[in-house]
Amino acid sequence: MLSQFIFSGLALGSIYGLVALGFTVIYKATQVFNFAQGMLMVCGAYFAVTASIHLGLPFPLTIAFILVGAGILGIAIYFLLIKPLGGQALLPMIMITIALSIILRAVIELIYGGAPLTLRLPLPSGVFVLGDVRISQLHVTAAVVSWLCMLLFIVFFRRSRAGLLMRATADGYEAAVLSGIRVDRINAAAWAIGTMLAAIGGVFLCQLQLVSVELENIGLLALPAVVIGGLQSVPGAILGGLLVGLIEQLASGYISPKARDIFIYVPLLLILFIRPWGLFGQKELGRV
Amino acid sequence: MITTGKTRLRAVFIGTLLGLGACVADAMAFESPQDGVYTDRIDWGMTADMSGPASAAQAPWGHGFQTAIKAINEKGGVNGRKINVLTEDTRYDATVERVAYDKFVSQTPTLGTSGMGNSSAQTALVPLIKRNKLPVIGTYTTAKVAIDPPTPYFYGGFCGFKEMAQVGIGFFTDHLKLQSPKVALVHLDVASGKEYSSYVEAAVTARGGTVKSIPIKVVAADATPQVLEILAMKPDYVAIHGVPTTAILVIKAMKQYGIDVPAFAITYLGTPGVYENLGPDAGKNYYFVSCFSPASSDPKAAAEMAAAADKAGFGPLKDDINFVAGWVVGTTVAQAIAKVGAEPTREKLADMLNAGFTANTSGLSSELKYTAADHEGLHGLKPLNYDYSAKAFKSYGDYKDFDKYLK
Amino acid sequence: MSNGVTAYLVRLRHNALPTTLRVIGVAVLLAILLYLPYVLQFRSIFGVRLSNMQLLNIGLSQVNLTLISIIGAVSLNYLTGCAGLVSVGHAAFFALGSMVAAATGMHLKLPFLATLVAAMLAGAMAGVVAGLPSLRVRGLYFVLSTLAIHFIVVFVFAEYQYAFHDVTGVAVGDAKIGSFEIDSGIKWYFFLLPITVLSCLLMRNTLFHREGRAVLAMRDNELAAAAAGIDVRILKLKVFAFSSAFASLAGALQAYYLSNVAAEMYSLNFAIQFIAIIIVGGMGTIGGGVIGAIVWLLLPSILMGAATEVKSGPGDFASFLLAHRPQIVNLIFGSIVALILIFAPHGIAGFLRPLWQRMIGGLPWRGRT
Repeated sequence: MLSQFIFSGLALGSIYGLVALGFTVIYKATQVFNFAQGMLMVCGAYFAVTASIHLGLPFPLTIAFILVGAGILGIAIYFLLIKPLGGQALLPMIMITIALSIILRAVIELIYGGAPLTLRLPLPSGVFVLGDVRISQLHVTAAVVSWLCMLLFIVFFRRSRAGLLMRATADGYEAAVLSGIRVDRINAAAWAIGTMLAAIGGVFLCQLQLVSVELENIGLLALPAVVIGGLQSVPGAILGGLLVGLIEQLASGYISPKARDIFIYVPLLLILFIRPWGLFGQKELGRV
Repeated sequence: MITTGKTRLRAVFIGTLLGLGACVADAMAFESPQDGVYTDRIDWGMTADMSGPASAAQAPWGHGFQTAIKAINEKGGVNGRKINVLTEDTRYDATVERVAYDKFVSQTPTLGTSGMGNSSAQTALVPLIKRNKLPVIGTYTTAKVAIDPPTPYFYGGFCGFKEMAQVGIGFFTDHLKLQSPKVALVHLDVASGKEYSSYVEAAVTARGGTVKSIPIKVVAADATPQVLEILAMKPDYVAIHGVPTTAILVIKAMKQYGIDVPAFAITYLGTPGVYENLGPDAGKNYYFVSCFSPASSDPKAAAEMAAAADKAGFGPLKDDINFVAGWVVGTTVAQAIAKVGAEPTREKLADMLNAGFTANTSGLSSELKYTAADHEGLHGLKPLNYDYSAKAFKSYGDYKDFDKYLK
Repeated sequence: MSNGVTAYLVRLRHNALPTTLRVIGVAVLLAILLYLPYVLQFRSIFGVRLSNMQLLNIGLSQVNLTLISIIGAVSLNYLTGCAGLVSVGHAAFFALGSMVAAATGMHLKLPFLATLVAAMLAGAMAGVVAGLPSLRVRGLYFVLSTLAIHFIVVFVFAEYQYAFHDVTGVAVGDAKIGSFEIDSGIKWYFFLLPITVLSCLLMRNTLFHREGRAVLAMRDNELAAAAAGIDVRILKLKVFAFSSAFASLAGALQAYYLSNVAAEMYSLNFAIQFIAIIIVGGMGTIGGGVIGAIVWLLLPSILMGAATEVKSGPGDFASFLLAHRPQIVNLIFGSIVALILIFAPHGIAGFLRPLWQRMIGGLPWRGRT
């Protein structure tokens, strides 16, 4: 039982971690606490529907379509909504992402209709049997791909020039502007990457169940993941995601599915009291 | 800056004035309504979640209702009047449901209203329904307090959870030839899930069996914990209550763990979407019980509905039991209005239904009959599943065959 | 005292009208407010019948629900706009208020008005608890602590509902004062209107007193406020208790108005709508909360009414639009919110204020600094 819960918890947690990572990338670059992250994830699932069902693209092109689509969407959001607000206070920035998610939801329902859709991508769907543990191949694929994406992102963030610029901008906006970094481009890139990461998570979630705007609620589990891990921390987002996945499975399995929210949000409150900067974040402003 | 600001303000003023002018002009064409009955039309209210969290199921219901009324209007309407459906999108919000109900009572008066698919909101409205005397006919869900004791102003329009549990448990216990069935019940951890759980428990206990109820969240990403409990229990069959995602997650995970027992779900989960998602391999053991017949399970009975659905652009929905349910309620409403006579009023309509009324649903549902003591309407159900090779729903008998399980 | 507070007080003084004009203004407003429910109930004005769209598709129960939401919105604006404590957990206090009203009515058999007071007291106490994280964290971290509180309260509500009430929700008793039952839209209106007005005035007036000025000072510069001798910690908890008490009152009133409430109602979206209300209306002013609530609750219905009027149009596109009316309404609504955020960052109240000032004598508007 336990090993089974741990496996499925880690698999789900990897998807949450991926979405949470996208969230952190956006937050680090533009200080926007993105309530629309769940909806961006849903957009990924619907991009897959367009590519695979409406356009009939083969699988590799479907992936490319999703990534490009998500990238363009992220850039568009940045230039249309985030940049015009230009560094306003916390709350308007939160609100604009809420407005964004209302708009995205309406647009999706207009294009695809409100009923959930079924999408079959050629991803493995069988079962591995290891002793008495049964692991869904889809779970394993989701976990492996999530980890690859996270690794890729970390390498990009730490080693590439663009990643360096991104880190520099995140550390000091004025300094970055003064040293000639085109901050707009960097921020737009961060939105593009954040949206892409969410979109990949969305593709896996819609394979686990249905393509529907209601997936947004699952995507929103990335929020506590991010906070538990530490808002500014890239590894924190990933580990926070894993932790939320594990808590979800263990709480549902051993106590009651209703207990899930309590077991996620009570530790979150405790962490805010004890280590407001999160388990893996760096100590910063946070305190009074 | 200041000049542009002034220009903008001026534009706003002029816009407002124009709007007001248009409203005044509109005042000329006004007719005083009597219970929503006009010389050439009858206004009828309909509330459903057309864009909120329950819209995946309720929007098809709304479309089914509208399609039925449209088809009736095209045939000349009811006693010379067209039925005009006023649709309110309630977004599964109890406050919006209340506003919509009050609107139908006096703001834009209607002869009656249908839908009302939010059971908490419905419970909250019961005192008002009794007081305002606006007939509510054909609801998407029926709260217990609304029909027990019956009021002349409320008539249900969907199969009840109690009957779903009784027919489902009765059929599978006999079908699998079990003496004392062991049943695993996966249900949502919300109000209706608790209610359904109590009915399943009663039905299984009556057959001398045991039941284990396993809750799951509406927003679940995975059903591993639930299915592991099923695995540990080794039930004879599984009962499912939830949203389409619940059924998909549970059935897929059961397959993953090699649990090969049949499962039956509540009516709401018998949609083509769920079967399409499960695929033939996992879907062949997934059944549901329903008081409505999807078009493909009885093409002859559904001919008129199918033609109207195709014409209205809702062709793909005709196999969705929610659409069928909306259609059945739409035709029932039209028949009820027709029976009241040339000058219908709310009072006459309520009296007529309360005295006893049987709708002709042309085989698309089990018998829909209201009596003074029973305002639920639909009781009979039958088990169905999907035949992937024939691409059609298949029913396991006639509604009447399963009446013996109803208590 | 900080610059922001001075500017605020100066603004208040500049906004004041001459006394006679003010009396006339209040009298006219009062007359409108007293006549409004009859217009909406009987759909006519001075005996002239009006069509539904002439009354903007608005009914009396929308207005009553708006009055309740105004209390909720203004209390959040007090907390967030005036004291600078951003909370996304406001729905939790709504839920708490309705739960306490139902519980004290059912288990302790308290009368209607007493349950409202009980709800307010419980709200104030819970507000102190919910405010505790503010002593430790701020900004986004504090926002998240309120989010956590939201989920915890809703969980408790659901447990209470399943343990003691029907599965479809918690039924609250009748709204009865003595033997007088508030059972019609008009009665509710005349019951809610004074409560709403009094709540708003109370919150507004606290801002003029010593404590209220300290609240504004704390928002503008916490360190400076502390240096000026304000005990910021106690003040924050007080503000939280004050604001939560009114949110709970609103929750209890809403529960009585609907007669039955369920845990499912208090979703995160429910909480978010209050944030939307104060941003759309304008942060940091009482008027902002009022205007925001009116716009947020009535605009969708007006849009929907207008969309229903559009019946005919050319071909397939029109029928597509008709079939997707709710989505179009949501799309327009979301876009309006985004546009307000971008082009009117101080909300509708901030947008109207210069207009108002030009009307009353053209003193230059001074924004918040």
